[in-house]
Amino acid sequence: MPIMDMQLMDTQIMDKLNGDIEKLAMELRGFIKDHVVGFKKKGVVIGVSGGVDSAVTLTLSVQELGKDNVYGLLLPEKESAPSSKTLGAEICENLGVSYEEVPISPILESLDIYEKKDQIIKRTCPEYDPEIHKTSLVLPDFLNQGLLNVPYIKLIKDGESVGKYRLKANDYLELIGLQNVKQRSRMIVQYMYAEKMNYAVCGTTNKTEMVLGQFVKYGDGGVDIEPLADCYKTRVYALAKYLNVNEEIIRRPPSADTWSHYTSDEDFYWRMPIHVMDQLLYGQEHQLPLEVIEKNTGLSGETILKAQRHIDRIKDTTEYVRVAAPICSLDS
Amino acid sequence: MEHIKNDILDYLKDSSFMDANIGLKDNDSLTQNGIMDSIGLLELMDYICEQYSIEIPEDMLTPENFDSLQGITDLIVKLAK
Repeated sequence: MPIMDMQLMDTQIMDKLNGDIEKLAMELRGFIKDHVVGFKKKGVVIGVSGGVDSAVTLTLSVQELGKDNVYGLLLPEKESAPSSKTLGAEICENLGVSYEEVPISPILESLDIYEKKDQIIKRTCPEYDPEIHKTSLVLPDFLNQGLLNVPYIKLIKDGESVGKYRLKANDYLELIGLQNVKQRSRMIVQYMYAEKMNYAVCGTTNKTEMVLGQFVKYGDGGVDIEPLADCYKTRVYALAKYLNVNEEIIRRPPSADTWSHYTSDEDFYWRMPIHVMDQLLYGQEHQLPLEVIEKNTGLSGETILKAQRHIDRIKDTTEYVRVAAPICSLDS
Repeated sequence: MEHIKNDILDYLKDSSFMDANIGLKDNDSLTQNGIMDSIGLLELMDYICEQYSIEIPEDMLTPENFDSLQGITDLIVKLAK
């Protein structure tokens, strides 16, 4: 077997994802500096969610630009987990970054977002009572059951799931439109601050999210720079450890945090553990042979092929989220 | 069974990204041929439930049951019994 092929067969995907972190951190810091300077801005505004992506982005920005040139915004709303705010404030304080809390609930209330969302949940789940139930949007597990991307509303009472109802297509589309106003409101607030301070808005989307279209166009995707967008989530965790990010932030299950019941990305987006999703995405990106992916993930060839088709379907559906508005270029 | 297949084919011609001028074989993949994406799939499920007065159990929401004209027809026949 040629040496190149033997090396390919021995690929350890997790080692690749966790490797060269010091060099990566240096490269990302350089990227932030180059673009802030290139855009002739004096610093960056970052939406700090209490999650690992914003914690890493904030830390790298402070290291490169200095704490006086970074501004943190905590942007909670009525359905945010309380820990989002406390962990966000904590990391800003630990890094000595100035920050401000700007609740976005009044913007959402002015557009009747909560009321409209409740109406959809009520017609989908007859026993829904907003006084006693928390809600969450979930998809069936993929790896164990291989089921389609069919969204369900889950009702939770006293921490226990008490009902699950399939959403109709029209209701799902309306619900996504309502939910996305949350990220888009945050984008508006971030730009209001960034323009006042002559700062750039620094995004926190990672490569897993970018490839799967797991962000809101003109919401959390509406930013000036995206330092983490070529780092899979697994790599962001490695960066977080290297940068000594608070363990509580690292251990917290990732979530868009837009439902009253904290819904992890594993339950709604990935439908499999993140280390498996990232290895599958890495395998696709580097066109690794099926047997190499089998060896790395421990999954059967059949499951991997199914998962890859599932990923392809997601990429296909979210293509429009990733692309900038196409321009009709004229010849003359 | 044939009338169900024709009904679904008509639905796909009217409501999906299917090119009405191109023939669709019973086992052609709807997703791989760009006829149906995940939203289209949800719309198709709603149509089937309403048109045939059936509920689709969660464990039957598999790619095999929804990715071809034949798979969809078999599913409806099974559930409408």
